[in-house]
Amino acid sequence: MEETTATFDDAAVTSPSSADAVTDELLDDELLVEEISIDGMCGVY
Amino acid sequence: MNADTASNALLDQRLALHPQVALRPEPFGALAYHYGNRKLIFLKHPDVVRVVQALAEGDTLADTLLACDIDPARWPSFERALTALTESEMLHERHQDAPG
Repeated sequence: MEETTATFDDAAVTSPSSADAVTDELLDDELLVEEISIDGMCGVY
Repeated sequence: MNADTASNALLDQRLALHPQVALRPEPFGALAYHYGNRKLIFLKHPDVVRVVQALAEGDTLADTLLACDIDPARWPSFERALTALTESEMLHERHQDAPG
């Protein structure tokens, strides 16, 4: 019977520094405004 | 002029909503419509709406962001947003009122 050794998957661990990096990326990509084209919408209600 | 220099220049500017722009609050933020150039822009977060509305009360953009308690980590996003609003003529640079 083979003994399987449980390994701790480091990739599954989110360290505080990497979590902050993800949060920083989200903040950096925050799209706060978006211009909408309404050309050609004359008469549309 | 590199990106950082341009960014600092915007933070030091005194901006105001263009008089021909109507700001309509919405649950997601607000709609901004310019009656002059007929541009329509979604302000997609209530915080950016607060900042735009507070521009006339504050001194520079940096002061306005501080007064609105905007996390400095978010300032780059706000700078990009207000730059877009300025390029669309929704915002314009206001000059300090002359004393007297």
